[in-house]
Amino acid sequence: MSQSSWDGNKAMDLLNQLEAILESDPLIDEVGFIHPSQFVILSKEGGESSILSEDGVPGPTKTNFWNRDHKLGISTEVLLPLCKAAKSAFMDAMKQYKTLNSLINNKHEEENIVRGSSPCQSFESEVTKHSRALLLLSCDFGTAWNARKLVVSKKQHLAMFMDELLLSTLVLSYSPKSEQAWSHRRWVIKMIAGKCSTLQEIISKESELVEKIAEMLHELKRSRDWAGLHVADNSCFHYRRRLMLGISENSCCKQECQNSSYDVESYQVLKEELDWNEVLIKRYIGRENFIALACAG
Amino acid sequence: MGELAVDKHVKYIVSVEKRKDSFESVVMDHLRMNGAYWGLTTLDILGKLHAVDADEVISWIMKCQHESGGFAGNIGHDPHMLYTLSAVQVLALFNKLDVLDIDKVASYKINVEKAVNYIVSCKNLDGGFGCTPGGESHAGQIFCCVGALAITGSLHHVDKDLLGWWLCERQVKSGGLNGRPEKLPDVCYSWWVLSSLIMIDRVHWIDKDKLVKFILDCQDVENGGISDRPDDAVDVFHTYFGVAGLSLLEYPGLKAIDPAYALPVDVINRIFFSK
Repeated sequence: MSQSSWDGNKAMDLLNQLEAILESDPLIDEVGFIHPSQFVILSKEGGESSILSEDGVPGPTKTNFWNRDHKLGISTEVLLPLCKAAKSAFMDAMKQYKTLNSLINNKHEEENIVRGSSPCQSFESEVTKHSRALLLLSCDFGTAWNARKLVVSKKQHLAMFMDELLLSTLVLSYSPKSEQAWSHRRWVIKMIAGKCSTLQEIISKESELVEKIAEMLHELKRSRDWAGLHVADNSCFHYRRRLMLGISENSCCKQECQNSSYDVESYQVLKEELDWNEVLIKRYIGRENFIALACAG
Repeated sequence: MGELAVDKHVKYIVSVEKRKDSFESVVMDHLRMNGAYWGLTTLDILGKLHAVDADEVISWIMKCQHESGGFAGNIGHDPHMLYTLSAVQVLALFNKLDVLDIDKVASYKINVEKAVNYIVSCKNLDGGFGCTPGGESHAGQIFCCVGALAITGSLHHVDKDLLGWWLCERQVKSGGLNGRPEKLPDVCYSWWVLSSLIMIDRVHWIDKDKLVKFILDCQDVENGGISDRPDDAVDVFHTYFGVAGLSLLEYPGLKAIDPAYALPVDVINRIFFSK
């Protein structure tokens, strides 16, 4: 399909196919963009029934999507028309949804029974459906994330919030640095936490602090072997510095507490960390990370 | 040492602006306003802003403005601070800030003192800044923080020697700059690290000639454009930061650029002196 002559109808067919797959397999946890030549290999490994060709007929004809074991593959050849179709469909749906919403908001309170009506719901589902496809193809399309926040915050259903976590997880599976996806997750978690405030009341402050220290010690121990093998990972050593600082700050808070076993353990851990750091400095001369770590110690 | 292929870069930028149907332009659709800022500021630094139709650009920008006063990344998208900044910057390039209802755009009232305190809370032990308190120091973040402190007259909060040391350690053997320890050099850090060093008056701590050579090596001298490192694919983002970096390094024939506002100095002067 050449870029200069994308056929609008064909592109909509592709979008419908993608959306049908997403609908039929809500547990997809990984998406990949595959060169067309790779579909042949996939079909040999997986059996022909998992390949969907351009006209929906399984078989060795031109294939654009692959779906098996909750994994989704999309042919790189159709990315451009798919992206265009998804954007166009989303923008149309969004326009209609917003128009309907502003009409509803302009009516009097008594007349707001239309809010739960089917036109509203159908636009909501169009916005949700098209934004999901669009975000898989263009994960930083902020307007699409905003639209989902709008729909979900109006409905306030826990299940819908969980769907948002699933979608953002999916996006992050191939785009782990997507700031929009992370930000969306933070928003969803805040919304869920807001609905479950009684849970927070149950956790007492004392046990919370103890738990925090224990977790930090555990994390420091757990990540040490990995850190020793990834000496160039600045983020890892920044994280260890933060853990160490956190442990020493929280140990100071606990000085008045009768249970001082954590103090002893914390001190030992910090000393071990510095000794280990010395070993690494000698082993990997000149690595910035260890000097910075030593400074924090 | 090679030369800056000015005409090729101009041609490249103008072609990207026109190419609305490529995959690259479609997936960057939502941040076209940023792309406009990168491309057009580069053209201005190269003295070639007239290569584009100003009226067309300005008319498109105004279509991206929302009732709230903010600007979207493209027509039909939601407004966001990032695109509002780029829109205002591009209008400044064309000396068209008068088309704005300033009060509307600035209706987000900012408590400067609180903003400065927040930035200071993001300072790390190594002298750098992270994106949230306790976040890892990163050159891009550092530029944002140091730039904001500079604009608000709050640079006294910065430990200039400590930060200057961290920043000049970003220069690697090839002469390029990385964004944090142990990472590969990338042309965009020629801006973020360099402008930060200039703002804290420590730019003499890096080897400028080696950096110039690194940036020039990142050019695609056949097709125009600059990439993140030599032999990679080019894009408008790295083209801008490469040219802006060369301007900061006083490469001949380029307009001077302000390290805090990231706009040509004559544009900034025009704004301040017209008040």
